[in-house]
Amino acid sequence: MTVLIEAQELTKRYGSHLALDHVNFKVETGRIVGLIGPNGAGKTSAMRAILGLSSYAGHLRVLNQDPQRDRANIMRDTCFMADVDVLPSWLRVDQAIDFYAGVHPRFRRDRALAFLAKTAITYAHRVRELSKGMKTQLHLALTMAIDAKLLILDEPTLGLDLLARRSFYDALVNDYMDETRTILLTTHQVEEVENLLTDVMFLAQGKIVLNAPLEELATRYVTVAVSPDALVAARAERPFYEQRAMGKTILYFDQPDLSKLTLLGELRTPSVSDLFVAKLSGTTV
Amino acid sequence: MKNYQWLIRREFWENKAIWIMPAVLGALLVLTSLFGTVTGDIHVAGNGAASGIPLLLSGKVLLLSVSSIFFMLMSIYSTWYLLDSLYADRKDRSVLFWKSLPITDTEVVLSKLLTALVVIPMVYWVAANLTALLVAFIVAVRAGAAIGSTLWHLDLWLQIEILWIYVIITAAIWYLPVAAWLMLVSAWAKRAVLLWSALPLMAVLLVERWFFGSQIIAHLLLSRTFTGFLPAIFASRGDPTDTLVNSPGPIWSVLDLAGFVSSPAAWIGVLVGIALLYGAIQMRLRRIE
Repeated sequence: MTVLIEAQELTKRYGSHLALDHVNFKVETGRIVGLIGPNGAGKTSAMRAILGLSSYAGHLRVLNQDPQRDRANIMRDTCFMADVDVLPSWLRVDQAIDFYAGVHPRFRRDRALAFLAKTAITYAHRVRELSKGMKTQLHLALTMAIDAKLLILDEPTLGLDLLARRSFYDALVNDYMDETRTILLTTHQVEEVENLLTDVMFLAQGKIVLNAPLEELATRYVTVAVSPDALVAARAERPFYEQRAMGKTILYFDQPDLSKLTLLGELRTPSVSDLFVAKLSGTTV
Repeated sequence: MKNYQWLIRREFWENKAIWIMPAVLGALLVLTSLFGTVTGDIHVAGNGAASGIPLLLSGKVLLLSVSSIFFMLMSIYSTWYLLDSLYADRKDRSVLFWKSLPITDTEVVLSKLLTALVVIPMVYWVAANLTALLVAFIVAVRAGAAIGSTLWHLDLWLQIEILWIYVIITAAIWYLPVAAWLMLVSAWAKRAVLLWSALPLMAVLLVERWFFGSQIIAHLLLSRTFTGFLPAIFASRGDPTDTLVNSPGPIWSVLDLAGFVSSPAAWIGVLVGIALLYGAIQMRLRRIE
């Protein structure tokens, strides 16, 4: 498996504030990696470093190139979509298509046109005349028409309604993703993407709190819902997070002794969003 | 090269004023020549013919006036264009869109510089020519054959074309440091680009005046931006307008490209311009908001 993004000791500092604090991670081909964290966790800083949009300290290779120096070259194989409002408002749809076809060696006009044909967007529309949902469709049409190895999405569905968000992710999975492609996306709407991801990376205060494939989460993390009388015994197994729910307490464990826990209550695999809350609410009980 | 072609096309899409402004100016001049009372330019032309000044002169004055008006509008627009060039897409965040394409920041900066120093002047050149043709035709019909005869001389038009080419080339060289400075500010400032383009220079001027009592930088800046261009590009000293209008020979006899290009003012300006441009590209690489 090829490593597409490799970060070692990646650090980004704004004055005295550490937006990224010596972060290490890898992204491999064929994965859909969710970079998840609260606002200000360093997601956007990480994205910008990867895309060559900002300076950074530490070692970072994207498609085996230095993003700060070789941004234009990396962008031949990488697509980037930030949230909806980055398309220039004066741009006309036919101009956008012509421009992409003109400057992007991997752009397939027919694919963009086929995608747009399924929408209400016409070539004469200007970006400023489109709704937020339509802007996303246009950007997606342009993006998906490129044979890119790596797709980077930064809060791509910010400000979209539920239907538009759903159709965005449907298009992504059905029309775009295959084993040769890789997606790295940031979001704080975890529920929406957790069925999509192959890997999650939790980021908090510039540090990676968790970085694991989804399969691993299922084998590693367990929650137990215990009644008050079993709480002391359960706490002895060292949960890393507790949550009260309907008279019971849900305890979160990382690689526990399952034989003991089964006696205490019902075992479950936490969802990514539950795990996110648990991990980011602090490690001590 | 293909990228530059598309980037320049993009400038036309985004900045429609590149061609709308000269078109409107041309239309205004044509309307003035159609409905204006016989004063102003037309009057000058008529008087010239009547008072015995060589007939060709009035045609020359008319054509030079039309060209000068276009050049002045162009200077104002280009300044604004350059100040906005690396700022507008940061302001509306579309810089994130442009940077997601396989185009280098150097290509972006140079395409905008090329647009300001070469493409826009060529648009104005064409517009000035079309306007001059229409105005000359209208004046000839309205003011009679005497003035008309001063306008329709192929060699006079040829002289004006040569002058345009000469001015486009020399202006690109002369104003390179000014353009590069405007682009550097445009790539750097988070707001108020116009203010930031002037403030640091004003500060330098004041510091010089307070601490050294001299005004060398002030004169240098004034000469580079306003007063210096015409004296620099015309070989003969004295009032350049006067030289241009009253020189007995053809216009190209007062032009001196080799002399201009080899003058220290020209190539020092180019060196400063390249340094500032490098700064603008570096700023463009780093700054997206």
